Amino acid sequence: MINQDFIRQSTGFFSPRSRANTLSRLLHTDPPLLIGILLLCSFGLLILNSASEGSAMVVQRQAIVMTIGLVVMFIVAQFNVHFFRQWAPSLYIAGLALLVLVLFIGAEVNGAKSWLDLPGLPRFQPSEIMKFLVPMLVAWYLSSRPLPPGFKHLFWSAVMVLLPAGLIIVQNDTGTAIMVAMSGIFVVLLAGIRWSIVITGFIALLLASPAWYLFLAQEHQKNRILTFFDPYRDPTGAGYNIIQSQIAIGSGGVYGKGYGNGAQSHLDFIPESNTDFILAVLAEEFGLLGVVFLIGLYLFVLFRGFYIAWSGKDTFSRLLAGSITLTFFFYVFVNMAMVSGLMPVIGLPLPLISRGGTAVITLFVGFGLLMSIHTNARRRIH
Amino acid sequence: MAGKWQLKDHEAERRIFNRRLVVAGTFVFLLFMALVAKLINLQVVQHEYFSARSDGNRLHSQYVPPARGLIFDRAGRLLADNQPIFNLTVVREQVGDLDETLAFISELINLSDDDIEQFRTRLQRNRVPFSSVPLRYVLTDEEKSRVAVNSHLLPGVAIEPQFVRHYPLASLTAHSVGYVSEINRRELDSLNDEERENYGGTNHIGKTGIERTYEDLLHGKVGYEIVEKNNRGQVMRRLDRTDPVAGKNLTLHLDSRLQIAAEKALGKYRGAVVAIDPATGGILAMVSKPGFDPNLFVTGISSKDYSGLITDQVNTPLFDRTTNPYPPGSTVKPFLGLAGLQHGFVDYDFAIEDPGYFRLPGVSYRWGDYTLRTAIGGGHGHTDLQKAIFQSCDTFFYDLGNRMGIDTMHSFMSQFGFGQNFAVDIDYARTGVLPSREWKRATRGEPWYPGDTINSSIGQGYMWATPMQLATAAAIMANKGKVVQPRLIKATDGVPYEPEIANPVPDVVVEDQDYWRYIQESMTMVVHRPYSDTFRDYGTAFEAIAQADRDMAYTMAGKSGSAQVVGISQEILSSEDIEVSDLNKDHALFISFAPAMNTQIDPQIAIAVFVENGEHGSSVAGPIAKAVTDAYLLDILELDFAAMKEKELQEAEAAEAAKKEAEAARLISQSDD
Repeated sequence: MINQDFIRQSTGFFSPRSRANTLSRLLHTDPPLLIGILLLCSFGLLILNSASEGSAMVVQRQAIVMTIGLVVMFIVAQFNVHFFRQWAPSLYIAGLALLVLVLFIGAEVNGAKSWLDLPGLPRFQPSEIMKFLVPMLVAWYLSSRPLPPGFKHLFWSAVMVLLPAGLIIVQNDTGTAIMVAMSGIFVVLLAGIRWSIVITGFIALLLASPAWYLFLAQEHQKNRILTFFDPYRDPTGAGYNIIQSQIAIGSGGVYGKGYGNGAQSHLDFIPESNTDFILAVLAEEFGLLGVVFLIGLYLFVLFRGFYIAWSGKDTFSRLLAGSITLTFFFYVFVNMAMVSGLMPVIGLPLPLISRGGTAVITLFVGFGLLMSIHTNARRRIH
Repeated sequence: MAGKWQLKDHEAERRIFNRRLVVAGTFVFLLFMALVAKLINLQVVQHEYFSARSDGNRLHSQYVPPARGLIFDRAGRLLADNQPIFNLTVVREQVGDLDETLAFISELINLSDDDIEQFRTRLQRNRVPFSSVPLRYVLTDEEKSRVAVNSHLLPGVAIEPQFVRHYPLASLTAHSVGYVSEINRRELDSLNDEERENYGGTNHIGKTGIERTYEDLLHGKVGYEIVEKNNRGQVMRRLDRTDPVAGKNLTLHLDSRLQIAAEKALGKYRGAVVAIDPATGGILAMVSKPGFDPNLFVTGISSKDYSGLITDQVNTPLFDRTTNPYPPGSTVKPFLGLAGLQHGFVDYDFAIEDPGYFRLPGVSYRWGDYTLRTAIGGGHGHTDLQKAIFQSCDTFFYDLGNRMGIDTMHSFMSQFGFGQNFAVDIDYARTGVLPSREWKRATRGEPWYPGDTINSSIGQGYMWATPMQLATAAAIMANKGKVVQPRLIKATDGVPYEPEIANPVPDVVVEDQDYWRYIQESMTMVVHRPYSDTFRDYGTAFEAIAQADRDMAYTMAGKSGSAQVVGISQEILSSEDIEVSDLNKDHALFISFAPAMNTQIDPQIAIAVFVENGEHGSSVAGPIAKAVTDAYLLDILELDFAAMKEKELQEAEAAEAAKKEAEAARLISQSDD
């Protein structure tokens, strides 16, 4: 199937359309999306260079990770989207198996036992893979059922989402579990689940949250919630990060203090300035204009993602593309809202800007899937 | 699978999905708008507030302590300077868990419980937030590097260079120059707002001696600087600076060579030497032995060292013997003799027949001659005032004192500074006691008895004087009544400095200037009158001074004294360090000035020597005074007495020749008539 696909594509090489267009189709690439991603990556490296005090090592490493990500993206894009639909259940089950394996032989890093050290493979987190396997499976499941989904289908979708999420929570990695669950939930939302159910579920969550806070929440989680409402209840402890980050953002003003002149970050007042709180560095040095520029880049990528979902040739493609795009948005928004004090602190990096490893590769897998979906959809249109 | 596809309404599904996509897109847009609204609030609305917070984070106004003025001796030799040390300091606000940090530091470097305790005391003082508090002074190079290597684990902990006081002569200047030490709570509270501001960057303050008296001059004026600090409190940049004004350098009258000589002359004894320049009142030497190392106090004396200093009841190194009173004994006799002449109780021809004791009319009690107590019996025989001074005849003074009465004695003696502190810049010097009727009534609630006068007339009983007072009195005697008030300060920043004298003292005036010559001559005889066939006709200090040094180049006037030891505590008596019999021995005293009776040069040095349990004024304290005088006149001033003597002879010859010539001229003119 892949070969056929390739041959069909290659015939378009001599089409009257522009050569670049042809080349991009040959490589199963979506040029606007690629440009958006490359701009984000470049901007990210620029900020990272300042945030890490010009440490060439950090920036080089990030550039290498991004290059690997791009290669992975191209590889993923070469697969026809049908391949993923066909293999979704098998891949999902394999992913679940890895998650279970982690429970037994996983390695612990930063308190989360989520890493797998298999001989002959680089160290990786199976939970990262689930970030695209879960929406893939739910999309596969719902796309072959009539939409909007009925209760039975919703129930099975929930099982598909909650099973891996539960396993990841057991690994003590709540953040990733939430992301995995959200990626599945986005599929269900896009599949047309009735609003009454959505609203009921939302209200149920609201009602359940006090109980969660009282009986289930861990001490540091409670602290984060309390700190969100009043950062100054512990200004040198739990509230320190958010206070310093707000000072950095606020003091940046409209135009910023200039590249490399962020006192807050360069004098080490912002903790984790090159990971979770990198937005504060950007906001301090480039001001409101810099942040709005970044939001513009993100919006460009997001709306290209929405366009790809919109023009998907089948329900599976559409659901998957929509979910990937919304998950990406979720990442971006949660980080920005957290750093600017709009949400409680959750340890999430800012996609393509923060320093990161496997999570960055996962993002590129998602972009690869988007490109695969789009280039395959386009073939049918022409 | 294909069957299921056919059941689906693809167009309807697409519509549902697309609607949802539009909703999602709208949400995305709205949420981003909310984010932008929040950012506008932070970056535009609250921009000024956060800018100020950011500056408050990084900009710190800190004090720049002024360099403390140096202290020099009269020849420009350093008595106190400032040396760089490296301290480990802590900014409390930047340290998370203090106990944990302290525990970690004590793994790296030697940190005693004492250090930690003192550090906690410092923390509790009023202080500016985010100011650094010293944890340990004087880090070695190795300790510095150990801390530096681990600095990333020690937020809020820094190594700061600091200049601290150093006293090169150590114990030699412990009581005169004094020392600085950390400002304590009480001292801080006693400062007014302006002063407190001025001490913002200063850790140390003068505690004793010159360091305390001239704290205002030595301290200088604090400077300020605005620095940018990072999150670990390290200074990254200096942005603005107002330089501090260094304290004034002080030059003292002290001569460190004389100070060394005096300390050496005291030898194994505990005691004090005060030497004064009679022309100016400048204190040339001020030694209390044993001393202590004042450098120990600068960076916080350990409790072990401190208890060592305060529990030594015999040596009492912290006790300043130069400014604390003892019974002056016979050293007061020249002054009483002068009082007798001035008030007409004696004249040059007056003499008594001394039986060796004195008895008040109608009272059977005999006041024995203290001087002769241990020697063979009998008195001094025919004794005039001169002999009473060089032989130190108690009986003569018992009689004189008795006739003079305490009121005359008190008013005359007080002109020489007894019972008062004449010193200009040694406000902590004790006044001793010059007893009077009022004094006794006020302190004892008893009337004055005639017997009290008799005890006082040989410098015993209620009379107490400090070595500083005795040296001052000797200087006034050397000056023939011109009063000089002792002072340590000579110049500030090289400019002669005249300290403000709150209550100037008038000179001592006597009816006949020859009285001065007479008393000075008597005091010279104490040192120089040799043994002869006449019974008890030698100076008491002749053997120990003039006979011991037959080539003595100059003439010295002196007076010995000894004082009974009073009130030894049981604690000292039970001490095993020293034989108790030694502690019961009399204190030995000697006052002197030199050169005396010299037509070429005025007296250059007046001295009081006090030797604790020295027993013999003449033979123990006398040679010490001689050694100090030698050091000053011969080694330091390098006076050429042989040349002076020659000149004196030439002048005498010239005067003789002139006289002869005048005589001849008179005869010629007579014959012409």
